[in-house]
Amino acid sequence: MKARHIQHLYFRAGFGIETQTLESLSLKSRHEVVRQLIKDSSNVEHLRIDLSELEALMNLEYRQLKNRETTKSVKALVTKSQKKLINFNVAWIERLTTSNAVLAEKMTLFWANVFVCRDNNIWYMQRYNNLLRSNALGNFRDLVKEVAQSASMSKYLNNRQNVKESPNENFARELMELFTLGIGNYTENDIKEAARAFTGWSFRLNGDFFLRRFKHDNGEKQFFGKTGNFNGEDIIDIILEQKQCARFICEKLYRYFVNPVKDIDHVEELTNIFYADYDIKNLMEYLFTRGWFYEEKNIGAKIKSPIELLVGIHKVVPVAYHQKQQLIYLQKLMGQVLLYPPNVAGWKGDKSWIDPNTLMLRLKLASILLNDAIIDMDVKGELEDDFEDFYREKANRKRFIKTTKSWGIFDSKYEGVSFEALKDLLIIASVDKDTEHFMSSLEVSDKRAYCIQLMSIPEYQLC
Amino acid sequence: MKRRDFIKHATLVSSLCLVPSFVKAFESVTSQVMGHKKLVIIQLAGGNDGLNTIIPYTNDIYYKNRPQIAIPKQQLIKVTDDLGFHNKLLPLKRIYDKGYLTVINNVGYPNPNRSHFRSTDIWQTASDHNEYLTTGWMGRYLDLYEKHNYGGIEIDDSLSLILKGEKLNGIATKNPAILYNNTRTPYFERILASQTDTHLSEHNLGYLYKTMIAAKSSAKYIYETSRTFKTSQEYPNNPFGNQLKTTAEFINSGLHSKVYYVSMGGFDTHAGQLNKQSRLLDVFSSGIEVFIEDLEQNNTFKDTLILTFSEFGRRLKQNAAIGTDHGAANNIFIIGKHLNKPGFYNEDPDLLHLDTNGDVQYSIDFRSVYATILDRWLEVNDQSILNKSFSKLKFI
Repeated sequence: MKARHIQHLYFRAGFGIETQTLESLSLKSRHEVVRQLIKDSSNVEHLRIDLSELEALMNLEYRQLKNRETTKSVKALVTKSQKKLINFNVAWIERLTTSNAVLAEKMTLFWANVFVCRDNNIWYMQRYNNLLRSNALGNFRDLVKEVAQSASMSKYLNNRQNVKESPNENFARELMELFTLGIGNYTENDIKEAARAFTGWSFRLNGDFFLRRFKHDNGEKQFFGKTGNFNGEDIIDIILEQKQCARFICEKLYRYFVNPVKDIDHVEELTNIFYADYDIKNLMEYLFTRGWFYEEKNIGAKIKSPIELLVGIHKVVPVAYHQKQQLIYLQKLMGQVLLYPPNVAGWKGDKSWIDPNTLMLRLKLASILLNDAIIDMDVKGELEDDFEDFYREKANRKRFIKTTKSWGIFDSKYEGVSFEALKDLLIIASVDKDTEHFMSSLEVSDKRAYCIQLMSIPEYQLC
Repeated sequence: MKRRDFIKHATLVSSLCLVPSFVKAFESVTSQVMGHKKLVIIQLAGGNDGLNTIIPYTNDIYYKNRPQIAIPKQQLIKVTDDLGFHNKLLPLKRIYDKGYLTVINNVGYPNPNRSHFRSTDIWQTASDHNEYLTTGWMGRYLDLYEKHNYGGIEIDDSLSLILKGEKLNGIATKNPAILYNNTRTPYFERILASQTDTHLSEHNLGYLYKTMIAAKSSAKYIYETSRTFKTSQEYPNNPFGNQLKTTAEFINSGLHSKVYYVSMGGFDTHAGQLNKQSRLLDVFSSGIEVFIEDLEQNNTFKDTLILTFSEFGRRLKQNAAIGTDHGAANNIFIIGKHLNKPGFYNEDPDLLHLDTNGDVQYSIDFRSVYATILDRWLEVNDQSILNKSFSKLKFI
């Protein structure tokens, strides 16, 4: 397989490729490379942070929560939970940087922006995140059903409040509008009837799903032309019977993995494959072995998300943050904080990552992380903050991101790599000819400095 | 240039401000180009408690629901037979007395959302409660009517959704010198300097280069123009005062920007509301008063309209922590020199007919306010920006 094509594959299925991996793969055929990529993701390890201090509380029954002591501990939990979410965010980024199951991790990130969810409770959020991870290359049907029964989603879209006496349509609506079919591919009546089928879906304090039988509407429902005593799982099965569901997902997938501008024929090709069995692994294997996936117009066509940009840098030069908060702060300034999507529609991606302010930071990011450049942008306060906190980060903050850079690892990895080869490894987009000219006018002596420079040109923003 | 120097330069992003002195010479000219209309939007972020801001002091329901946090009759500034200002709003009362203030009560939208994030999105994008837009209403204004990023400026370091368009984004800065310096790092400056620009495509790489070029030119323009004016007013020494001071410098220097967005935080008063809100209203109204004086002194107030809003109001009934929880409809302020109906635009909040959550119901859709401002103030097609037609009001 051509080196450039392997690189393209690894930029999309992961966050770039190391020189050793590239060398070892270049003797293999495309099918072998893709099969290896998928095999590397066959064992998915859950991402867990230490939540032992929450264990006792979260394993209680709801009725045990009534007394004063537990009310206090629930309050303490809320505060703890927010801190733990930051730990989880950092652990997730670490995972993206170091995991060998690159495709499974990239898919997890993809699904997190399809089944968008936000929950301040770390106990549930960790479960939710791992649910996406376990099913990332599994069957889409299982994935949708597990999402629908998860505590975090139930909280986020008010499915817990959805009861026979007064159905809450929020989850049913977003399930169809944003998760599976897209707007205009169902009727208002479909939403009403689907909401009835999901009534009574709830969860125990530990996050396990259970059905509140007396709150569930057992009556007959009409959904997509069918009539029956449907429950929520039946509704999901009927949605998946619609070819539009496969198409909707394949469009998102195409935009994320292939090109932000969709090609209708290629999307339809993927749709036909996916619709047959909703097997995600088969779909990805099919996609990555297509000739059109490797066409020049698709290579380097995508603007990296802030996470792709950060993780990409971390993978070349490992960086440890002295203060976790500073990693969150960088994500904030670039407009993508993992676990904190802006709303249930998720991040729009591509060009919307870029505005004058984010671009300035993105172009400076490598210098900030690897060369102690000053960062002179302040992060916005939170809406829940009081006046002091809202403006706190704006006063006298040390304008550095404190990191420990493992340049030694970089040195040993790239020791035998020429300057030209380093450029080819880091930059996949074809370099603007004026910029190329400018760069070739610079004297080349230090590989570390050259690496930072490569990461600072606009072409590095693309993958 | 040696590579090492190049890298070194990248880290030297302190204030190296080399500005041509001839810029000063233009100072006197600027007053002639200041005729365009400007809009300043201020978000009281967190959800200001409108009922303790403009107090319905003859309403028993108000006092019954807020035994510990209601503002007593004798502690407020009475302005009508049934409404009074919080006593920290004395500066705002003076603005009101000059006929520069219109208060619109009960502004909101159907099926109100009580999440800060979601409701802020709704207000900033002018969407329906169940619609997710990825452009702000002012961003769409930029798309249709402006050519440069500086058409819309947020006084902060990162850009909010309100100023994000499909084709054109606003730009955020609270310090034009720093902004300008960020476009003068080697990666920005030297790469751009070598750009011949003729071959830039519509693809993503071309888009990045074009964004860099536009950002640099906006940053330069904002920096070089705004530094020709230094305010002589004494602003309150707090971050909000600084934001307003910067805004005034932008406006008074004759910057051709149409829209300014400022977010003032701290209004999420779930606990210990009385002291917190007093302080906030003091910061807000004393800052606004100086801001208006500054504009008046420079003859720019007549061309400036100020809109303040919160993502939601707060619940009528106080909570156990001597504060209030997230509510729904709220009052907004319109401040300007030529208002059609200074004072109170519409009816008092109806505390008898609350929604099922116990919150004030809306009678004016916030998008009607936007439509009016777009149509009557910025004189543009409101329907193409708001994607829908909303009935217009008569406050301007």
